[in-house]
Amino acid sequence: MREPTGTILTGLLFGFVLSNVGFSSWDETHRMFTLDDQRMLLAFAFAALLLSLAWVPIRKWQHPSWPHRGVHPGIVPGSIAFGAGWALCGACPSIALVQVGEGQLGGMLTLLGMLLGNYAYSVLHERYFRWPASSCMDD
Amino acid sequence: MNHWSWWLSGLGLASVMVVHWLATGRLMAVSGRITALVNRVRFGASETPEMTEQELLEAVRMATTVEFGELEAATDSHNPPGLGPEKSEAPDSPADDAHQELNPALPQMGPRTTSHHVFFMVAVAVGGLLAASLGGRTTFTWSLASNGFRDFAGNLSPVILVIGGALVGFGTRMAGGCTSGHGLCGVSRFQPGSLLATAVFFSVGVGVSLLLGPS
Repeated sequence: MREPTGTILTGLLFGFVLSNVGFSSWDETHRMFTLDDQRMLLAFAFAALLLSLAWVPIRKWQHPSWPHRGVHPGIVPGSIAFGAGWALCGACPSIALVQVGEGQLGGMLTLLGMLLGNYAYSVLHERYFRWPASSCMDD
Repeated sequence: MNHWSWWLSGLGLASVMVVHWLATGRLMAVSGRITALVNRVRFGASETPEMTEQELLEAVRMATTVEFGELEAATDSHNPPGLGPEKSEAPDSPADDAHQELNPALPQMGPRTTSHHVFFMVAVAVGGLLAASLGGRTTFTWSLASNGFRDFAGNLSPVILVIGGALVGFGTRMAGGCTSGHGLCGVSRFQPGSLLATAVFFSVGVGVSLLLGPS
């Protein structure tokens, strides 16, 4: 598909799905994390299972060169910060956008925080850390 | 709230990841798009490492193959000066390898620009608006439409949102991925870094949420 049409269509679908799943609701996310409601946890696990099956024919026919995601020193501390932040503001990166679209404009503050945090880490990494900066950009 | 059942939700999420791969030639990674935008601000357009080294090499190789590889089938008269003899002398040259590796089934992967990331983000928001409109969930609030969040954050709501967002932005860049890149695309490919990251951020999310109190 010609870009940016593919990007835009996927984005629309992603926002639509995330809103319907309930990830854009702080309450739903909180119930998932407090284990009061297993619906979204099950959805997540089911999605991962389906994907692992979906990659099989894609690997077979398309031979994609997907990046290896190894363990590096940033994984654990980074994920601790991410998990804590997600529980507080109820949003992983794309969710803030869905919230804004739904009219939960507090998502704009979350998005601002995400940009600032991402910026801060990039500065910190250059100054103090020696391992190669991995990023989702490798995908 | 009228949300999808777990199986429909899972099917929806998995479908989006597959569609993203087929439509863009990349696995979905939302925090990577945020990183790209931040790099654009930090380094400006010229120095933005929009393509990784691997992607750049791949793109150069593909462009080379498209430009010169096709000429193998054509007559020598069309060969640019200097390339013809090399071809005949070394049939197993890297260009031939590239030609074999160029898989027509592979989704096209072009270089991304900053506008692509902005388009994606706006599209996600519009997708949310569509879903909320159809599902009767549209709202208008300067905070979050959540009683639980209001109870816990109170007057500090804006501060909590910025701090929480900053932790998410900082953490996903440090860990090299978020819920889509590590959590779905990485875990489903059984990548060790993604499995560890997902186990950690879910566990910490559970711990912090339990500290905040029951819903």
